[in-house]
Amino acid sequence: MEFLRNFPCFSLILTMCASIVSSGMNGKWARRLNIVVIVAVGLLSSAALYLTVTTNQCYVYKMGRFPAPWGNEIRFGVLETLMALFFSIIMLLSVLGGRKHLFEELDPFKENLYYVLVNLLMSSLLALIYTNDLFTAYVFVEINTISACGLIMIRESGHTLEAATRYMIMSLIGSGLLLFGLCILYGITGHLLMSNIKEQVALLVATDQYHIPLVVAIVFIVVGLAVKSALFPFHSWLPDSYGYSTASSAAILSSLVSKGYIFLLIKVFYRVIGFEIITESKILNVLFVFGLCGMIFGSLSAIKENDIRRMIAFSSVAQIGYIYMGFGLRTEAGIIASVFHIFSHAASKSMLFISAVGLTDVSGKSKKFLDLTGAGYRNVIAGITFTVGALSMVGVPLFPGFISKILFARAGVSVPLNRMLPTLICLAVSTILNTVYFMKTVLRIYTPVKTDYINIKWKENLCCGIVCIFFIILNIALGMYSEPIVELISRGIAMFA
Amino acid sequence: MNESVSLLAAILFPVLSGAVLLLLKKLNDRRKVLIYAGIAMGIAGVLILNALLGKEKEILLFFLTEDIPIVLKLDNMGKWFLAIMSLIWILAGIFSFPYMKHEGKERRYFGFYLITLGAMAGLGCAGNLVTMYAFFEFLTLASFPLVIHNQSREAVMAGLKYLFYSLFGAYMALFGLFFLCRYTDTISFIPGGTLNMELAKGNESVLLLAACLMIVGFSVKAGMFPLHAWLPTAHPVAPAPASALLSGVIVKAGVLAVIRVIFYEFGADFIRGTWVQYVFMTLSLITVFMGSMLAFRENGLKKRLAYSTVSQLSYILFGIALLNPVALTGSLLHVAGHAVIKCALFLCAGAVIFQTGITTVDGLKGIGKKMPVTIWCFTIVSLGLIGIPPTGGFISKWYLAVGALESGIKGFQYAGPIVLLVSALLTAGYLLPVTIKGFFPGTDFDYGETKKCEAGAAMTIPIVILAALSVLIGMFPNTFIEFISAFTAGLM
Repeated sequence: MEFLRNFPCFSLILTMCASIVSSGMNGKWARRLNIVVIVAVGLLSSAALYLTVTTNQCYVYKMGRFPAPWGNEIRFGVLETLMALFFSIIMLLSVLGGRKHLFEELDPFKENLYYVLVNLLMSSLLALIYTNDLFTAYVFVEINTISACGLIMIRESGHTLEAATRYMIMSLIGSGLLLFGLCILYGITGHLLMSNIKEQVALLVATDQYHIPLVVAIVFIVVGLAVKSALFPFHSWLPDSYGYSTASSAAILSSLVSKGYIFLLIKVFYRVIGFEIITESKILNVLFVFGLCGMIFGSLSAIKENDIRRMIAFSSVAQIGYIYMGFGLRTEAGIIASVFHIFSHAASKSMLFISAVGLTDVSGKSKKFLDLTGAGYRNVIAGITFTVGALSMVGVPLFPGFISKILFARAGVSVPLNRMLPTLICLAVSTILNTVYFMKTVLRIYTPVKTDYINIKWKENLCCGIVCIFFIILNIALGMYSEPIVELISRGIAMFA
Repeated sequence: MNESVSLLAAILFPVLSGAVLLLLKKLNDRRKVLIYAGIAMGIAGVLILNALLGKEKEILLFFLTEDIPIVLKLDNMGKWFLAIMSLIWILAGIFSFPYMKHEGKERRYFGFYLITLGAMAGLGCAGNLVTMYAFFEFLTLASFPLVIHNQSREAVMAGLKYLFYSLFGAYMALFGLFFLCRYTDTISFIPGGTLNMELAKGNESVLLLAACLMIVGFSVKAGMFPLHAWLPTAHPVAPAPASALLSGVIVKAGVLAVIRVIFYEFGADFIRGTWVQYVFMTLSLITVFMGSMLAFRENGLKKRLAYSTVSQLSYILFGIALLNPVALTGSLLHVAGHAVIKCALFLCAGAVIFQTGITTVDGLKGIGKKMPVTIWCFTIVSLGLIGIPPTGGFISKWYLAVGALESGIKGFQYAGPIVLLVSALLTAGYLLPVTIKGFFPGTDFDYGETKKCEAGAAMTIPIVILAALSVLIGMFPNTFIEFISAFTAGLM
C-alpha cells in the first residue's frame, strides 16, 4: 500500500519522458506510445484514488525528499486523483475518437509532433492537479498554454493559425496576470509552497497587514485564470480555436485544458488563500456576475451560429459560466456543484465534438447546418451520440447535465435571496436557450433529405464508433450513478482545506 | 411473475421494442412492420394489464443523488390513469394500422408509438417527483416525432412549439421542485402531502410561489391558459390516431402531475384558501370558456377538436382546483370520459379524412350518408361531451358542479357551475353542426352522387368500442365512482 503513494509522481514523470521519447519516433510508434502512456496514467491514478479513498487521508510527496524552501511538493487527496483518472479517460477517448482525422489533416511527418504535444499537455494537466507549489503551477500553466497552442495550429490552415495566435495572446495576458499575482503573494508572504502561504496569509489577515497587496494579488490570480479558462468577457478566442482545430484537439481543449485552470483556481481558493478569506473579498461577486452573463450570452451567441462546431464552442462559454456561477454562490455546495459540472461538461462536450465531426464527415466536410440535414441517418452512431450529448446539455434527467443543474439549483436555493433569484432565473433562461439550439440541431440532423453524400458503414470507422459507445456509457453512468462521485467530490473538498 | 419486476417490464418492454423497431433497418416492408408492431402492442398490453391487476407495490431502482431516489410505485391513482392511457393507446393503435398507409413511414411511427406507451407507463408508476419529472420529459420527447410525422414545414414548426412549451413548463415545475425539496422530509408521493410544517413555517410565501410555479408549469401540458397556444397548433398536424393519443391521454399527463403536486406533495390543506388556489381556479375557468369560444369559431375539424380539448381539460383542472373530494371525483371521472370521447372524435375525423379527404366542417355536408356508422358514433360521443344523460360526460359534470356548489368558495361557488353550463352550450354549438350537416345537408343537396364509403373494420371497430364505452361509463358509473372515492377520500 505504501508504494502506491509514489504513483502520482510516476505518472507525471512518465508523461514527460514519453513526450521526449516520442519526438524521436515516427508517427505510428508515437501514437502507440501515447495510448500506452495515457492508459498507464489512468491505471496509476486509479490506484492512487484507491489508496486515498481507503485510507481517507491525503498524502504529501516531497520530490527528492528535500524539505520545503528548496524542495518541491506533490500533494494528493481524493479529488486530485479522481480528477486525474477522469482526465485520462477523456483524453484517451478524445485522442482515439479523432484519430482518423489526424491522419487526414496532418502532415505525415509531423504526426509524432502531435503526440509530443498531447503527452506534454497531459503532464502539465497532471502537474496542475497534483502540485503543491505555486511557482511549479505557474511553470506548468505556461507549458499547458504552449502545448495547447500547438494542438490548435498543427492543422496549419489559415483559420487555425489565426486562432492559435489569438489564443496565444489572450492566454499570455492571463499568464502575465497570474505571474503578477504570484509575485505579489511571494513578496508579502515569502513562500511559494501552498500550505506555507496559507499560514502566512491567515497571519496577515489576523494582524490586518498588507491588506491592499493581498487583495490585488487575489484579483490578479483569479482574473488571470479566468481569462485563461474563457470566462465570459474574455471568451473571444474560444470559438475559433475550438471550431477550426482538428477534432481531437477541440475535444481536449474544451473538456480538459480550461478545466485544468479552473481546478488550479479551486486549489488557490482552498489551499493558498483560504476559503473564508476568498469569500470575504468581493472577487467572487465579480465571478458570479460574469458567470451569469456568460451563461446567457454564450447561449445567445450559440443560437445565432450557423456552424455546428462553433455552436458547440459557444455552448462551452455558457457552461464555463455555470462553473463560475457556482463559485460565486460562496458556499461549499456551490463549489461541489461546480466541480461536478467540470466532470459532466467534460464528458458531454468532448462527446459532442467527436460526434459532430462524425456528422460533418458524412456531409461533405461542411459544418453548415443546411448541409448537415439528415446526417443522423448517414452516420447512425454519431447521430445517436450527438443526441445523447445534446440531451445532457439541455438537462434531461438521467444524463449528467441534469445532475449538475440539480446540484446548482439546490446550492442556489440555500443562499440569500439576492443571489438565489439571479441564480435560478439565469439557470432557467439558459436552460431554455440551450434547448433552443441543441434541439434545433438534433432536429436538423434527423430531417430526412435526399443527398449525394454516402452513408458511412459501421466497419469503416470502427474506432470512432467504439469511442462513441464508450462516451455514451460514460455519460449515462455519470448521469445515473452520480451519487458516489458527488460523495467523493465532497470528501475531496473536505481534504483540500 | 415477481411483483416488482412486473412494473419494470411494463415500462421497459414498450421502450425497448420501440427502439428495436426504430433501429432494425431490415423491417422496412410495411407488412413486417405491422406484424411486429401488432405483436409488440399485444405483449405490452398484457404486461400493463399484469401490472395493473397486481397489488400496490414499490421498487427502488437507484439513487440519482444521495437523497433523490428513482422509485417506481403503482398506487390507485396511478392505476386509474395508466388503465385509461393504455386502453386508449391500444384502440388508437389498432386504428393506426390501416390509417398509416395514407401517411407512410410506419416503422418510425410505430417505433415512437411504442416508446410513448413506455413513457406513459413510467409516468403512472412514478413513485416520487423526480422520477415523475424524468418520465414527463421523456414523454414529451417520445411524442414529439409523432407530431412532426409528415415533416411539412407546418408540422415541424408546430412540433417545435409543442416541444418548447412543454419543456418550458417542465422547467418551471422543476424550479418549484428545487424550492420544495428544502421544506419536505421526502419527495415520495404520500397521500396528504409531505411538507414538513416546522420547516415550512415562516416560508409560506416562497412555498406558495413554488406551488404556483409547479401547478402552472405542469398544466402547460394540459393546455391551461396562458400557455395553451401550443395545443391547437400541435394536435391537428399529427396523423389522426396520434392526435387522438395526444389529445386523449398525453395531455392527461399534465393532469396527473398537477394532482401529484397538490395532493401528494404540498397537501390540499396547505393550498386551500390561498392565492394559489384562486389563481388556479381563475385560470382554469378562463380556459374553459375561451377554449369553447375558440372551438366554436374554428372551421377546421381537427383544430376544432383540439380547441375543445383545451376547454375540456380545464374542466378537469377546475375540479382539482376546488380541492374537495366530490369535485376531484368528478375530475377523475372526466379524465376517463374525456379520454374516451376525444379519442373517438379524433378517430372519426381521421376516418373521414382517410376516406374522403375532407378536413373542414363546412365540407362535411351529406357525410352521414356516406359514412353512417362513423357519424353516428361521432354524434353519440358528441352528446357525451356536451353532457347529456345517460352518457359519461353527464356524470362527471354533475360531480364537478356539485363539488363547486359544496365548496362554498365565495364567487367561484356559483361562477364555476355557470361557466360550465355556458361552455356545455358552446360545446353543443361546435360539435352538433357536424352531425347536422352530415345527416341534414339541406334541400339543395344532390343525393344522387353519394356513395357509401364506410372505412374498413379495423378503423370502424375502435370507434364503435369507444362510443359504446362512453355510454357505458354514463350508465354504470358506480363501479368507477366507488373505486375513485375510495382513494380520493384519503387525499384531503
